[in-house]
Amino acid sequence: MHPFIPAALALGLVASPAPAPEVEKALPFVADDYAKALAEARAQKLPLFIEAWAPW
Amino acid sequence: MRAFVFTDPALTSRAGQFVWLEMNDDDERNAALAERLSVEALPTFFVLDPADESVVMRREDGMTVAETDAFLEEARRAASGRGSSSPVEAALLRADRLSGEGKKAEAAAAYHEALDQAPAGWPPYGRAVAALLFLHQMQDENAKCLALAREALPRLSGAPAVVMVARSGLDCALGLKKEDTGRAAAIAEMEAATRRSLADPTLGAAADDVSSSYPSLIQARKDAGDAAGAKKDAEAWATFLGAQAAGAKSPEQRAVFDSHRLLAYLELKQPERAIPMLQASEADLPGDYNPPARLAVAYFEMKKLDEALAASSRALPKVVGPRRIQVLQRRSDILAAKGDATAAREALEQALAYAESLPPGQRSERTIQALKNRLEQPPTKPAS
Repeated sequence: MHPFIPAALALGLVASPAPAPEVEKALPFVADDYAKALAEARAQKLPLFIEAWAPW
Repeated sequence: MRAFVFTDPALTSRAGQFVWLEMNDDDERNAALAERLSVEALPTFFVLDPADESVVMRREDGMTVAETDAFLEEARRAASGRGSSSPVEAALLRADRLSGEGKKAEAAAAYHEALDQAPAGWPPYGRAVAALLFLHQMQDENAKCLALAREALPRLSGAPAVVMVARSGLDCALGLKKEDTGRAAAIAEMEAATRRSLADPTLGAAADDVSSSYPSLIQARKDAGDAAGAKKDAEAWATFLGAQAAGAKSPEQRAVFDSHRLLAYLELKQPERAIPMLQASEADLPGDYNPPARLAVAYFEMKKLDEALAASSRALPKVVGPRRIQVLQRRSDILAAKGDATAAREALEQALAYAESLPPGQRSERTIQALKNRLEQPPTKPAS
């Protein structure tokens, strides 16, 4: 999945630049645990930011 | 985003304003959430109201650090003051919510409503245009997409979003029906806009965003029957990416460019140029399936089938989710080229069984049907 690459698809190019795994981040991300993140957001009364990504 | 933006100290001050969740689309645990949020592109960013889990804001495609900061500020205000926004902001938030619910037509109408009311210099204008372009492209509404790109480009002058909008306009022009009398002129117009966007270093667009425009330019040259022009663009693409990779500050940052570099080299029919970088990435990132999976592709194109199969064998234990199907399909191609039709079929059968086992949100009926179609075809002859 990638939003803006119809021409790339026409060329048979199906990947996008790969986000690398295990990167040191400036933001305290919870990894792949929606229930935990949602509970934290409710407890802290903060909005929940979600990054949907894939390692490809 | 992950290697360049979320690592930037400029965003550290936002840490306490949200709870942050990264959702790997390959991970089965996230399938239900991806299904509910109608994730159709990667990356996609959401801000949810935790009280009722409704989508407050949504954005597809990558952002620069500055764009991310602006998005977060907009999200923070929207989440804290919902219902008190201006009509144009209310229309945009409604559009985001509808898009988050998978209601594409209703979301498009709401984005239009927002854009029609947008005052000059409205900060979310570029984000709203990007969202609507995406919806048009997902629904093959090429004429609407083109019209929006034409309208938006002058208003976005000087902004990084120009790169994406010009590219989208070009993609949509290329997607017009061949018999459309305005197609050639539209392609020329949007190709020129795309080239201008790549030639303007002051826009400050992200490197992966810039890179994504080269395949569109290559496709435009091929559409015009200009093979030499397409090759020239492919070489420029490879050069651009090589320079970006050379400037990377970590193996993670360098590897971000591997997939597009491989694609550029394949376009140039020079897969051997990808081998050193992929070997370096495999050594630097031993848990990542991508380097060996890409090595399998490069070696296959080089007709080095033993090396391709070995690389595929290294990738398979590390890959889960929809991308495992791609790796298995490539493995089938390699085995077929080696003349082992039985093993090639077994790899396809594994891919089909795996595809059918995926949960909603990861399962693709189109992929399953494509695999069934391949299994019904006679075995491919070995490569000569």
